[in-house]
Amino acid sequence: MVGMSVLRSAAAFAARLSPLKSGNTAASLLTRTIPRADKVAVRWGHGKKMFVIKPTDFYDRRFLRLLQFYILLTGIPVAILVTGINIFIGEAELTEIPEGYDPEHWEYYKHPITRWIARNMYDSPVKDYEKMMAAIQIEKEKADMRLTQLEVRRHMRQTGDGPWFQVPTLDKELIDNSPKSSPDN
Amino acid sequence: MPSDYDKGAYPEPPRQTPAVDKQTALPNPALILSKVFYYTVDLPVTTFRDAVDSIRSNNKMVYYHQKFRRVPDLTECQEGDYVCYYEAEMQWRRDYKVDQEIVKVVQERMRSCQQREGASYQQNCTKEIQQFQEVTKNFQLRYGDLGAYANGKKCLMKQKERMMAAQAQSA
Repeated sequence: MVGMSVLRSAAAFAARLSPLKSGNTAASLLTRTIPRADKVAVRWGHGKKMFVIKPTDFYDRRFLRLLQFYILLTGIPVAILVTGINIFIGEAELTEIPEGYDPEHWEYYKHPITRWIARNMYDSPVKDYEKMMAAIQIEKEKADMRLTQLEVRRHMRQTGDGPWFQVPTLDKELIDNSPKSSPDN
Repeated sequence: MPSDYDKGAYPEPPRQTPAVDKQTALPNPALILSKVFYYTVDLPVTTFRDAVDSIRSNNKMVYYHQKFRRVPDLTECQEGDYVCYYEAEMQWRRDYKVDQEIVKVVQERMRSCQQREGASYQQNCTKEIQQFQEVTKNFQLRYGDLGAYANGKKCLMKQKERMMAAQAQSA
């Protein structure tokens, strides 16, 4: 009984708080039907808006975005170039060397890009071979010269008739012997 | 694109599939699947390849197999003639590579023979197996334990050891 009056006064208080909301009159707050939760049309479309608190992934996503950008910046042109070369120019075919023909050094490779690199950027293998042989020849001559130099040194030191171990002294003719010929001058 | 193996050099044995003798009215699922595969995979791929080849045939390039002249061996070089040593060393390296490829070719022959013959390979492939064993034995004898830093001089010393061992054995 007392509880009923408390409820009624609470309903009146609620109605006074928000009087403009429809269905909020003091009379209808207690007597309105409460909708059953299992029989109402439930729509999962929007859902309850949640404010998810998680640590920032801005820097990670920025890094991955920039990585993707800078890789694809040169990756896509290179991929298009190589695909175009493979489709439109194509690899070479193996044939016998025709009679009397001396192929250039790049004509021994199959892929067009390898051929281009061999033609424009590398020296021919023959030239590399000759360069190596020239270096070996120079080193051989240097080694031979050093050995002969040691041999000559040994000889000159032993026999003493070579110019290397002779110390230049004054000429005998330049000595003035006149004060030496008369003693007790 | 890799080309098929030389069918003239390694002929396939004659096919032994019996003639088609359909005894049911039901469709043959193997035939249906093979036709499906042909129309979905084989035909598009072949037409694409033909299209690409027709584009490529305007500027067709060729490449050749390089032939090197023979130069004096390490045994025919004067002592101290380092240029001769270098040329002999380069020739030895080229020969080493060629020998490796020879072993690979013989091995490939044996493997394809085994694949073709199936379960009865030991009986039918005796020539290939014998050739492979001979070639690998000789390769091991000549280049066997030289290691990664092999050069012509080490190989020559190994040959000298082999000759000394053979002489000691025969004496």
